[in-house]
Amino acid sequence: MGKESSDKSDSVSSRKLVLPGDLLETKSKPGRGIFRRDGRVHASVLGYSSDQSGYMNVNAITGGYTPKVGDKIVAICVETGPSVWRMDIGASFNSTLHHSESGWKVPFGDTARFLTIGDAIWAEVFMVDAAGSHQISLKKDDCRKLYSGTIVKMGPTNVPRVIGKQGSMITAIREKTQTRILIGQNGHIWIDGKGSDIATAQKAIEMIDNEANSKGLTKKIEKLLEK
Amino acid sequence: MAGQTDMELIKDGVRLDGRKADELREVKIVAGVLDNANGSCYLEWGNNKVYAGVFGPMECHPRHKQKADRAIVQARYTMAPFSVNDRKRPGYDRRSTEISYIASQAFEKVVMVEEFPKASIRVDMQVVEAHAGTRCAAMTAASVALADAGIPMRDMIPACASGKVNDVVVLDLNKEEDNYGQADLPLAIIPSTGEVVLLQLDGHLTPDEFELALDLATSGCMDLYKKMRLALENRYGGSA
Repeated sequence: MGKESSDKSDSVSSRKLVLPGDLLETKSKPGRGIFRRDGRVHASVLGYSSDQSGYMNVNAITGGYTPKVGDKIVAICVETGPSVWRMDIGASFNSTLHHSESGWKVPFGDTARFLTIGDAIWAEVFMVDAAGSHQISLKKDDCRKLYSGTIVKMGPTNVPRVIGKQGSMITAIREKTQTRILIGQNGHIWIDGKGSDIATAQKAIEMIDNEANSKGLTKKIEKLLEK
Repeated sequence: MAGQTDMELIKDGVRLDGRKADELREVKIVAGVLDNANGSCYLEWGNNKVYAGVFGPMECHPRHKQKADRAIVQARYTMAPFSVNDRKRPGYDRRSTEISYIASQAFEKVVMVEEFPKASIRVDMQVVEAHAGTRCAAMTAASVALADAGIPMRDMIPACASGKVNDVVVLDLNKEEDNYGQADLPLAIIPSTGEVVLLQLDGHLTPDEFELALDLATSGCMDLYKKMRLALENRYGGSA
């Protein structure tokens, strides 16, 4: 499962919207979504500021996925090479899955037998270098190839909302729809179960993505799932 | 500056469209209007109508344009064939190539390009209706679209022109003033530092007039910046 914790506060009222360049008055250490100019901290992205546990962060509302080592993600194969697969993880660049990180014994040039274009996997980012390229691995924890099911793509910045506080939101969706769900930190979400159940779960996730920052979201989702 | 006229463009401090010398045309900005772009903006500025959409950061193509240590901003300014009186031949021309280039350079100053090596950030600006000052309108819209796309930036850049008509320095030229005026000075600044990221001058200004025009355009940019902020706050619910 993805990290079942939320770094976005659930209470909409306590947050402050900041825009790129806004000065942030703080004595905390600089965290995410900020930059320094003349020793002062400014927001670099559009988002909500949070000054917690000694760190000043700006949690972006929109934006693409930036891979971090240790992120669990859902990846889709887009290209096969003699010894690697190129995987779409929703980042600026495709990621590489090397055969030595797949857990399979792959003969040279026979990668497509194990994973072909369009196949999905549950994987972990295990290397990100300064030049922006990254590699993923299938050899960690519960990483595996995904059979059946469907993949829903949403904004990676809204992933914490789908998970909810201590995983409350995703637990509710899983229990009410009787589906198996894997939430990738990259915003790709894998859902498996009965057809109609998948549709309901997908609807709920799309609703969270569209209304991630509105009030009373939990209640709206509960109502949708009760139907 | 296209031609000379006897037309009185400003009379008793009042311009043809009823504005004072230091007044902007009415500006309406809406962020996040397009579903398929990562970030977008629609802007109406007087009779100008502009759409801007942002994609990326994505892999840079053609690859010889990639920079190993940073991203590049590939801005593209185009005018629709129906945006002007005489149908404009669609596609790139000398003018749009120039504007695309200066806009790319301006955005590279504020976008944190060093965070995305080898990548490209594509900014598409489409002028739907043109009525003078479209490069400023397009760049302002593109700034909002960049913020809407969640791209890390040091600031947004508002752009606004000033100029000279009938020997009076005025803010934000309209079409008649642009065609028959004496000077046009588009300016884009970084509001938090006051740095200039775009400055062009067409026509003639004395050093004193230039100073005045620069001050006027700067204050116009700051007014515009407030409207850009408001557009994004409206979209994302303000300081809720």
